[in-house]
Amino acid sequence: MSPVHFIAIPLFAAFLIPLVGKVSKNLVKLIPGIVFLYLSYVAITLFPIGIHKPIVEIIAGFKAPFGISLYYGPLAAFLTTMITLIGFVIWLYSYKFIIREPIEKYYMLFMMLITGSTGIVLTGDVFNLFVFLEITAIAAYSLTAFLRDKDGAEAAFKYLLIGSFSSTFVLLAIVLLYANVHTLNMADIATKISSVPLTTRIFILILFLMGLGIESEMFPLNGWAPDAYSQAPSPVGAVFGGIVVKASIYALMRLIYLMFEFQSVMHFLVIMGVITMLIAEMSAMRQQQIKRMLAFSSIGQMGLVIIAFGVGTEPSVRAALFQMFNHALIKSLLFFAAGYLVFHSGSKKISALDGLGHDKPITSFFFAFGALAIIGLPPFSGFWSKLYVLLSVANSGLFAAVALILFSSVVEAIYYLRVVSRLYFNTEVATDVRRTPVSGLVAMGILTLVILFVGFYPNLVLHWMTPAANELLNKAAYIKAGLFH
Amino acid sequence: MRKVIAILLLAVVGYYILGTLLNLPFGQKATGVGKYYLDSTIKETGTVNTVTSIVVSYRGFDTLGEVTVLFLAATGLGAILFDKKGKKRSLQNASLIVKTSSKMIYPLTVLLGAYVFVHGHLTPGGGFQGGAIIATGTLLMFMAYRSFETNHTALTIIESLAGLTFVSIGISGLIWGYSFLQNILPLGTPNELLSGGIIPLIYIAVGFKVGAELTTVLDTLLKTIKG
Repeated sequence: MSPVHFIAIPLFAAFLIPLVGKVSKNLVKLIPGIVFLYLSYVAITLFPIGIHKPIVEIIAGFKAPFGISLYYGPLAAFLTTMITLIGFVIWLYSYKFIIREPIEKYYMLFMMLITGSTGIVLTGDVFNLFVFLEITAIAAYSLTAFLRDKDGAEAAFKYLLIGSFSSTFVLLAIVLLYANVHTLNMADIATKISSVPLTTRIFILILFLMGLGIESEMFPLNGWAPDAYSQAPSPVGAVFGGIVVKASIYALMRLIYLMFEFQSVMHFLVIMGVITMLIAEMSAMRQQQIKRMLAFSSIGQMGLVIIAFGVGTEPSVRAALFQMFNHALIKSLLFFAAGYLVFHSGSKKISALDGLGHDKPITSFFFAFGALAIIGLPPFSGFWSKLYVLLSVANSGLFAAVALILFSSVVEAIYYLRVVSRLYFNTEVATDVRRTPVSGLVAMGILTLVILFVGFYPNLVLHWMTPAANELLNKAAYIKAGLFH
Repeated sequence: MRKVIAILLLAVVGYYILGTLLNLPFGQKATGVGKYYLDSTIKETGTVNTVTSIVVSYRGFDTLGEVTVLFLAATGLGAILFDKKGKKRSLQNASLIVKTSSKMIYPLTVLLGAYVFVHGHLTPGGGFQGGAIIATGTLLMFMAYRSFETNHTALTIIESLAGLTFVSIGISGLIWGYSFLQNILPLGTPNELLSGGIIPLIYIAVGFKVGAELTTVLDTLLKTIKG
């Protein structure tokens, strides 16, 4: 049992899928489920080990920095476990979701989208990071256009163009890094980066900020996100918002904390986070389509996470991780529910949802639950993470940021409650004879229970996030474990 | 006005990019990881082609990732251009000269491709290059003969099996008690065909995979007319 299972097993399954697809299409649907179930087992077995002492796994038998190694520390343990478990739930949801042909290709791309994100989180090598970013990105482009309609093609093309810029920037940054320090291992780079001329370092940082900022939906690089989120099939929207963005933010923060720990970068992150959050929340307010609204809300939440990472104290990083965790759960739930609300109302428009709360009470309940949780009302997990973010930002004396976070929370409450009130308080009752499939309801139910559980016992999760936050802040320990394991 | 500002901004950015790039220490003796690779390739991997040993052995995990990227790109293309009814290629026939010479060149191209990927650890080239050469051979046939068809089922099976071989070689390293993708075979004598441990096996798998994949991609892209 070792961290490389997170990559090797899904890859094996992905190459197997075309063969299985020749035999039975139904069997193909099961494969990602089996893979994620097994990986959940691996994740749960490895988690208690990795959270205490980082596991550095060497690939191909060449020690760092000569070969590639995976770094499964507390942070990676936390994120891979989160990604794997949520990946399983999303698979459960998409099991009965109506998906167009060719379904074997859909499930293959879907599984690789999640595996790419796991790889980003696991790897200890900066070029390997780029490879996994590419895997994630290419799966994402094709899934955005999967429904083969005009809007989907447009969204995917936009995403492809911007994403290619992102890849190029990241690759150029890696080339410059390698040319200057002659190594690709992240821990090794961290030891040698101080010898690089300052202008070069800043240039590399800007390239990384541009490249990974696109994938992390940082303002003003997030123009692709609303289109991609709303045109991709709903389960894929959940993967984008719940998993892919988290992995990209992780990559950006890991590199910044490891290699570019300038004070001004941290200020820059706070400022960009605030702008991202404000603009996204204001745009979400104006949206007519439910999934676009969710996409903008997702960008806004990422802004909040970026602020907390930018503050850079131990409580704030922990709060940022907690917020990422909660957002992954809640945004997946919202996308799940929104997917079936759109399906039942037959339109992507918010105005078409009038009275659906009476016709489809369970799905609507899940949406309302998710909406209340993401606003940050007390019994739900979203409350705690937002509170901790606010507290940590306030403790650093950034009261302007606190005020703006509170302001955007109000905006968030307005647009979410507007949708919820349309669901329940509009008399014009829409009816749809089709039912929401059981697997979809089970997936939403699981997320709901977890959100409620974490809401009541936030310390259980926070307890695991303290080592993860420390790992990000303690550069020396990362270098020591990464190079001299 | 906006254009002037944009040009000025670009000039500033360009100045700094140029400054950074000019500072790059190019053309000097390899240091760091690069020097280590040059010094210890033959001893550690039994491969005389250093590039191959880096691509397949030292950084084999990246190559597995790149193979996956290509696989995803081909699959994604197939998914986006999927059409239940099926499509046809252009109906125009090539001239007799092109047809006849294509028929002669095609087997030679495939042979050259196979040579390149089989000898990936000895001579320049390797799995990706060999596979691409094979795909150009089929492209020639596609262009010359409108009736030339590839067997899609066979291509899918080749693609899958080749990918599975690559991952299985990696996993067998784990099963043998080493690390993922670690060499489990004897290294042999450098410069011989049977040397380099698992490197030739991986490159043969990659060659088959890339050849089949690019052929599928070309086939999908060339079929533009509704059938």
